[in-house]
Amino acid sequence: MSDPPSDDGSDAIHDDGQDVMTPAELIAKLEEAWLNEKFSPELLENRSEVVECVMEQLTHMEANLQRVKKGDAKASMHRMEIDRIRFVLSSYLRSRLQKIERFFPHILEREKSRGEGDPSLLSPEEFAFAKEYHANTETYLKAVALKRMPPNLQTVDMLKAVPEPCLDSFVFLRVKERQENILIEPETDDQREYVVDMEEGSQHLMRYRTIAPLVSSGAVQLI
Amino acid sequence: MDPSEVEFLAEKETVKIIPNFSLDKIYLIGGDLGPFNPGLPVDVPVWLALNLKQRQKCRIVPPEWMDVEKLEEMRELERKEDMFTPVPSPYYMELTKLLLNHASDNIPKADDIRTLVKDIWDTRIAKLRLSADSFISQQEAHAKLDNLTLMEINTIRSFLLDSLNCMYKLRSNLQPGSSKGQAMDY
Amino acid sequence: MFCEKAIELIRELQRMSDGQLPAFNEDGLRQILQEMESLYEQNQSDVNEAKSDGRAELIPSIKLRHCCLLRNQRCVAAYLYDRLLRIRALRWEYGSVLPANVRFHMCAEELQWFSQYKKSLASFMRSLGADGLDITQDMKPPKSLYIEVRCLKDHGEFEIDDGTVILLKKNSQHFLPRWKCEQLIRQGVLEHVMS
Repeated sequence: MSDPPSDDGSDAIHDDGQDVMTPAELIAKLEEAWLNEKFSPELLENRSEVVECVMEQLTHMEANLQRVKKGDAKASMHRMEIDRIRFVLSSYLRSRLQKIERFFPHILEREKSRGEGDPSLLSPEEFAFAKEYHANTETYLKAVALKRMPPNLQTVDMLKAVPEPCLDSFVFLRVKERQENILIEPETDDQREYVVDMEEGSQHLMRYRTIAPLVSSGAVQLI
Repeated sequence: MDPSEVEFLAEKETVKIIPNFSLDKIYLIGGDLGPFNPGLPVDVPVWLALNLKQRQKCRIVPPEWMDVEKLEEMRELERKEDMFTPVPSPYYMELTKLLLNHASDNIPKADDIRTLVKDIWDTRIAKLRLSADSFISQQEAHAKLDNLTLMEINTIRSFLLDSLNCMYKLRSNLQPGSSKGQAMDY
Repeated sequence: MFCEKAIELIRELQRMSDGQLPAFNEDGLRQILQEMESLYEQNQSDVNEAKSDGRAELIPSIKLRHCCLLRNQRCVAAYLYDRLLRIRALRWEYGSVLPANVRFHMCAEELQWFSQYKKSLASFMRSLGADGLDITQDMKPPKSLYIEVRCLKDHGEFEIDDGTVILLKKNSQHFLPRWKCEQLIRQGVLEHVMS
C-alpha cells in the first residue's frame, strides 16, 4: 500500500521569508490564530500567509489522494485529517468575516487611516468584501427609507450607528512568554492600580485592552 | 465556544492503541504516524484511535491516569484543597467521555472511572462557581486561573463574561461623557 | 405621542427573539415616514416664523420635534439593520436559496441586499487559495465516527471519503462518516438513526 507521493511531511514553508516552518508547525499556527480570533473582541491582524500555506497543503494533499486507489486505508486517514484542518481554517475565516460584518465602518475607517507600511488588518479579499458590504448596506438603507425622509435626515453616520468592538471585555488567556509588570487598572474608584507578573504557562482572566498588544505579538494565547 | 469544539481539540491528544492490522508509516500534514503492526502498541491522535476502534481495527490502551486508584487520590485531594489541583490531562473530562463512550470494553472498571471523574469535575465546578461569584462581587480586575481546563472555563465563559460586560456598561453609563460608540442620547 | 410607531417596529422584532424574520412592516414604516414629514413641515414653518417674527418661544418645540425626528430615524435604521442581520444569518443557515416563506417576509430592497450579499460572499470564497473554499460548509467540528442514517428521499449517487459511491435511495439505511452527512441531514435527505 503506497502513500500519496511526495507528502513526506517535511516540506519547509517560508513564513514571511524568514522562519522556516514544518507543516505541523504551520497547522499549530493556524490553530493559535483560530482561537485568538474566536475570543478576541476585535478583529486581529490577518494571517494571510498562514491561510495561503494551509490552503496549499490541503490542495496538494487532495490532489495526491485523487491518484490513490479506492478503499485505501491510508487515504481515509488523510481525508479525516484534511477534514479537521479544513474545519479550523473555515471556522477561522468565518470568525473574521463575522467581525468584519459586525464592525465594518470602524474596520474600514482604520484601514483608511493606516499609515503606509503599517500592516493591514484585512487581507485583500476581506478588504474587497468589507467595501462591498458597506456599499450594499448603505445603498439599502437609502433605497428603503432614508431617501423618503426629510432632506436633512437622509444620511446615517455608520460610524456612530454601528457599535464598536468593546476592548474592555474580559478574556481568558494562557501566557506563552513570561511577562513582567503588567498594569492592572482599578475597576472602581476605591481600588488602586497594581502590577502583576505573568509566568509562562499560567492562565489569567483580565481585560482584553490590557493585553491586546501581547495577543498580536504572540506572547499570550487567548483561551 | 461550542463544547464540540473543545472536544475537537481534545481529540488531538495522543493515546496508545494496539492495532490488529499492518500498515506502513503514514505521513500526515500534522506529523508522522505508525508504522502499524498487529499487537504492537503505537501512539495515535484520539480522533484516529476512535475511528479505528469503531471499525474494530484496534484496542485502545487507556491513559495511565485513567485508573481507579489514581483517580480516587485525585478526588480526595481536590475535595481537601481550596485551590484547583493539577489535573492529569488538560482534557481529562472530554477524554474520559470519548473513551468511555466508544471504547468502554478496553477500559477496566469503566463505570467506577466515570463516577470518579464526574466527582472530580463536580468538585471543581463548585469551586469555580464560588470563585466567579467572588470575582464579580469584589469587582476584581484580574484573576489567576492556573490548572483550570478549557472545558471548565467554557462552562462559565459566556455567563461570566456577559455579566462582567453588562456591569461594565452599567458602571460606565454612570459617568458622563463615556458613551463613546454606545447608545446615543435621543 | 410621537415616535410610538417607531418603538412598535422595534418591539415587533424583539418579540421574535430567536432570529426569526417577521413580515416586513411596510405599513408601519410608511406611518413613521408620514409622521416625520409632518414634524418636518411644522418645524419648517415654525423656524420661518421664529426667524421673521422673532418668536423665540417657538424654539423649544422646534427642538422637541427635531429630537423626535432623530429618534424616528434612529429607530427605523435600527429596525432595518436588525432585519439585515437576521437575513444574513439565514444565508448561513439555509444556503444561498432561501425558503419561500422567508422570502415572502422580505421587501424588494431586502431581496436586493440579500442577492448582493450572496454575490460578495461567493466572490470572497472563490478568492481563497487557488480553487476557493466554501466556508459555509464545515460548520461543526468533523467527527471521525460513523453513524447509521436512513434516507428520507431519493437523492442519487453519493461519494464517500474513500471514493466509494453509494446510492441514496428512499428508505435505504447506510453506515456513513458522520461529517459527510451533516449537510444532507440539514437538507432533510438523511436522518440519523439512533440505535
